[in-house]
This record gives sequence, C-alpha cells and structure tokens, in this order.
Amino acid sequence: MDFRPSSAQQLLVSTAREFLKKHCPPERAQQIALDSRGFDETLWGRMAELGWQGLLIPPDVIVLVEEMGRASTPGPFVPSAVVATALLLAAGSADHKKRLLPAMATGETIVSVALDDAGNTLVLDARGRLRGRALFVESAHVAHALIVAADAGDDRRVVLLPADRRGVERRPLDAIGPEKLFEVACDGVSVVAEEWLEPATARRVALQAGALARTAEMVGAAQRVLELAVEHAKTRVQGGRPIGGHQAIQHACADLVRDVDASRGLLYAAAWRASEGAAPAADVAMAKAYASEACLAVARRGHQIFGAIGYCEEHPLHLLHKRILAASVDCGDVATHLEQIARAIGLRA
Amino acid sequence: MEFGFSAAEQAFADEVRAFLRDNPLDRFPLDGMDAGYGSGAHSRAFMKALGERGWISMCWPESFGGRAEPMFFKLVLFEELALAGAPFGPLAGSWQTADAIIDYGTERLRREVLPAIARGEATFWQGYSEPDAGSDLLALKTEARRDGDHYVIRGHKIWSSHAGIATHGLVFTRTSREARRSRGFSMFVVPNGTPGMDIRPIRSLTGGVYHYEVFLDDVRVPVELMLGPEGEGFQALLNGLDSDRFWGRFYKAPALERVLRRLVDHANATGASADAGLRRRLAAMAAELAALRVLFYRAACLLRDGAPITYETAVAKIYADETGQKLARLGMDLLGPWAPLRPGSHEARVDGEISHAYLTSLGHTIAGGTAEVLRTTVAVRGLGLPAEPRKA
Repeated sequence: MDFRPSSAQQLLVSTAREFLKKHCPPERAQQIALDSRGFDETLWGRMAELGWQGLLIPPDVIVLVEEMGRASTPGPFVPSAVVATALLLAAGSADHKKRLLPAMATGETIVSVALDDAGNTLVLDARGRLRGRALFVESAHVAHALIVAADAGDDRRVVLLPADRRGVERRPLDAIGPEKLFEVACDGVSVVAEEWLEPATARRVALQAGALARTAEMVGAAQRVLELAVEHAKTRVQGGRPIGGHQAIQHACADLVRDVDASRGLLYAAAWRASEGAAPAADVAMAKAYASEACLAVARRGHQIFGAIGYCEEHPLHLLHKRILAASVDCGDVATHLEQIARAIGLRA
Repeated sequence: MEFGFSAAEQAFADEVRAFLRDNPLDRFPLDGMDAGYGSGAHSRAFMKALGERGWISMCWPESFGGRAEPMFFKLVLFEELALAGAPFGPLAGSWQTADAIIDYGTERLRREVLPAIARGEATFWQGYSEPDAGSDLLALKTEARRDGDHYVIRGHKIWSSHAGIATHGLVFTRTSREARRSRGFSMFVVPNGTPGMDIRPIRSLTGGVYHYEVFLDDVRVPVELMLGPEGEGFQALLNGLDSDRFWGRFYKAPALERVLRRLVDHANATGASADAGLRRRLAAMAAELAALRVLFYRAACLLRDGAPITYETAVAKIYADETGQKLARLGMDLLGPWAPLRPGSHEARVDGEISHAYLTSLGHTIAGGTAEVLRTTVAVRGLGLPAEPRKA
C-alpha cells in the first residue's frame, strides 16, 4: 500500500499546475465564466498540445482533473475527453473510433454527452426517428457531435449524432455556475444503425469514468478553498490578531482538512481500483457521494471563514463553490450514488 | 499509488481468520468491559491465545524474540479481530509499551517485562490524567523523587482504563522543576500491587467499570523501571501520542463496519430496509466508514515510512470518534423503542449492542485528546495557524 502519487503522476501534477497558473489564472477563469459563450479555444488547444485530452488512464487523468478543479479550468474536458472518449472506446465501431478519437485527442473535435436519465425523454422509434429531449447537456454549443441515450422500446439505445443534424436543436439553460448547459431537443431526427453505440450498457462504464472525474474536480476545488481559507485566516487581522488565532476559525479549518483528505482518499482508492480493472462501481459511488457532501461543506464553511469578501463576484471562492455544486449533480447525483451503495452493502429493496 | 494488500499480508489475514473460525469467541472468558473503541472487551485468555501464536511479538526485532514482520501485519491482525468483534482490548497498549521498551527500555524492562508482553500476560494502564490535569496534561502534580536507587512516586491518577485488571501502570510523573514547561517529566513502569498503590474503580454511565483512579502514596519504584530518559518523558510521550491516536483507533473502522453490517441485517429482517431515507443514511455511513479506513491507512503509510506526521493521526482520531457517535445514533434510530434495551435484556435487538455503543461512544471524543484539543492541533501544527496565547 502506498498513497503517494507515482513520480510520473507528480510530474503531471506540477506541469499542470504551472501551465494553469500561466494560461488559466483566476482572472482568466473568472472572465471565461462570466462570458456567455464560456469557452476558450486557445486554452483548449494548448491543453491538447500537452496531450491532456488524450490521456484517459484512471489514476493519471484523475490527478490531472484535480488540478483543473483547483484552477477552476473551464471547458468540456470531462464530457468530451473523459465520458465520450470512454464510451467510444468501449462501444464505438472501428469507424467511430478512427473518425473521432484522434481528433478528440488533438482538441479539434468536441463531443457532448446526454447519458443521464434525469430529464431525458428521448425515444428512438422503430423507424429510426429520435424524438424528445435531453437536459443538462454540457457545452453542447461548442460540440461537433452529441452522444445521447434514448428509449428504444425494451432497450436503452445510445446514439452518436453530428451536432448539426437536421431536427436537433440546442437551447441554453441558465445555471448559476460557469458550466454552459443545454437542452438538446430532437424532433424526428433520423438515426441510422451505424450511429448506434453498442453495447448500450457501456453507458454505465462511461458515467462511472465521469463520476470519478467529477469527484476529482470537487476534490481539487475543495483543496483550493482550503488553501485560500487558511491563507486568509493567517493574514486577515481583526482586533489586533489574525482571525486564525481564534479557536472558532481554527476548528473550522481543521474540518476543511478532514473533508478534503477523506474525499481525496476515497477518490484515489477508487481510481486505483479502476486502473487495476476490478469492478469499482461501489467504490466510485462511495467516492462521489461522499465527496459531494464533504466538498460542498468545505465550500460553505469557506464562505463563513472569508466573511463578506467571499460574497463578491470578483473573489474566486464562488467559482470554486459553483464548480463543486455542478460536479456533485453530474454523472449521478448524491441520491443516485447512495442507492448504488445501498444495494452494494446488501440492503434489500 | 497502490491500495492493495501484499500476498504475504493476505496470507496472514487468512491465517487469522482460520484461527477465529477454529476458536469461537465464547471460549474466551471476559474480565473487563468493552469500552466501544473497537478492540472489544479485556480478556486475558484471548491475549494469551494471541501470545501463543506469536502474534503479539511478531513485529519485534529478532533480537527481542520477535519475527521482524512488517508493521502492516499488525494492521491486518487488528482488522480481522475487529471485524470479528474479538476481545483484544489491551493489545494496542501492549504493543506500544513493547515498542517503547525496545526503543529505550532498560535491561531489566527488556528482560522481565518484554517476554511477559509477548506471552499476553503483561497488560498496561496509562497513568497520564489527573483530577486537575486533563486536556492540560502538563499541569500534572504527581511527583517522583529520587531516593538512592529508587524513585518515590506520590500523586493521584485518574481515568486509567482497566487499571484494576492490568498488570502494570505507565505512570507519568514530574521528576524535576525546569524553566521550560515541557521539561522535567519522566515515565515509570510500575507493577500493580506495589506497596502504596491504591486502585479504585469508577463506575461509568454504562453501569460497568472501565476506568479507575489510582492513588500513589510514596510508591517506591526501582530506577531501572523508568521508561526513557529522565526529564525527557514529555517529548517521548508526544511522539507516542501521535502513534497512540493511531494505534488506539485504527481498529475502529473495521469494528464500525461490523456494526453497520449488523444494522443492515437488522433492517433487512424487519423490512426497514425498504425505507428510502434509511437506505440513504446507511449508505452514506458505509461511505464514511470507507473514508475513515482510508484516512487510517494513509496515516499508517506515514508511520511505516517514518514520514513526518503533523496532523494526520489527529484528524483520523477525530473522524473515527465522531463517525462512531453518528453510527450509534443511526443505530438507535433504526431500533426505535427497542433502542434503549441493554445487552442481555429480554427482547433486546442486535444483542443490545447498539445501546452500549451509543453510551460508550460519548467518551471517545474526550479520551486520548478531546476533539477540540485535536482540532486545535490540526490547525496549529498541521496548517500553521497561530497558537492561542497561553496564560502563564
């Protein structure tokens, strides 16, 4: 047993931290978050030059996404480079893989996903027509292709569509966070069998990879909240002494450490098991459910430690908080993962 | 990054499981209360059985009669025993005392006490706290005065676990007045029954006896029973406290896992498992216990590698104790009107184990460093926040 990241992982982390400090400093993250399009092609392209979009090895991509969460890095990394990539690898045809994966790895092609059941009314009829809508599709506006799950009678079908296919409409949802969410509405969109991704159960594998990546984002963001809060507690002077000299603030900071450490521990354990090929369904569910609660608690307590200044838009705290919120409900919310755990520990329905 | 167990560790786990299968726990009489920490009750018979297998001394150097197994063997043993609910109450204390004796004990302690620990015969109570020295341990008043080749100890210790049934006390005393508050303390290994020692039980809110108070009225102790250098006892103890928090709580995660499994079985048997709210609470608890386990394994790796520890064991202890309280609370909720029934009561559910866990867990966030003191440790030692000024 060894909790330390490998030297390759450590190198990846330090490179990522340097890179993001330079190309995605807090002011830039803030700017992109407030921009209505909210996508930085230059940053996305630079990340691709480093090979990030083509990484996808569980422990490595996890420590990388953790850094992105820490820097509030915008962009469709998790949906495209993690979830869609994992799905295409597991269920794409040779043609899909050849056509999409290299271009996704270089950042030229972005693929959005609508795999979650929540808000999804899509039905694929026997004549190959897709009707209904999917909700919460991140970065659909910059996507070149969409992967959507739909009801097909007895089956669940997963299909890959060009984003500009006739009858596909992308309508923006307005969320509190920097992520750009869309409704993808389909009005009799024609789908051919070559566009099915099989087996459709690979959806679970992809959502699990996504859940792990979202957990990494939360842990990274919470780690940053912890660092900022401790820094603030040391330097903010009231009544002649740093507020961090008071036990009320000290104990709050101690709880931040506990929440971040425990979340990261579960994250790494699940990522390691995923890399070993062992079925990590319950491990991923535990990491995601736990980190969602714990990292949100970190963000909320962080606000209390920062006091009034943390309430301002120009302060980085709210972006980290909103990033955690968004990650906590994507790829399975807390209730979904808790139910998975409930079954894994043998609770009968 | 690597979270698995080695083949040797897994083989040892199998060995321990086989022992537990071949030796049903009801064969071992209990002689002291289970205080809910996860190490079960105090059972001399069980300690002797562990000693017979060489498991108490397995990690000691060969020159001290051990087999020099890696530290993780101790974790494996703890996990398997705790998952089974075995009565190994004194084991952590025996290990810690043995480690101290191996590190800096006198020839006499190595010759007389160490083999008795290995056989499971010698067990220890901690004489740290005093009526006016709780969280402020350095306020202690018990003094040891040198008199020829003896020290004469005078004072009053309290909250000493199993002191009445253990064989020796680890008595923390002041041996000199020094300018620095943390200097001048020394530790003694004092055999129970030494003249002048009066050990009195304190009945707890569970109705059972776990703690004792010990009056030391000019107790004469040979110089060779001092453990560690004179006057440096506090530094030794401080390092010890980091590992104390670890070894005194490591088994809690597997022990709580055992309790959670019992609650799941009970929920399934009564049909309560269909309740969505309860499912979520039990599932969230399973995740918390997994997180707890990971925190302890991380601390274990640091201890094993000799890496610096500033806050890691303190965080793990806080989390262990607060999670234990939460689980007991959840168990009480699940049992409803049956919750307050004692172990052994007519109609008690889950063997009345939950009501006992609920009551004992109240003491866990106090013993061995209160949750508040430890949070301050995490903040000051771990995060570098400024310490609160101490009143002289």
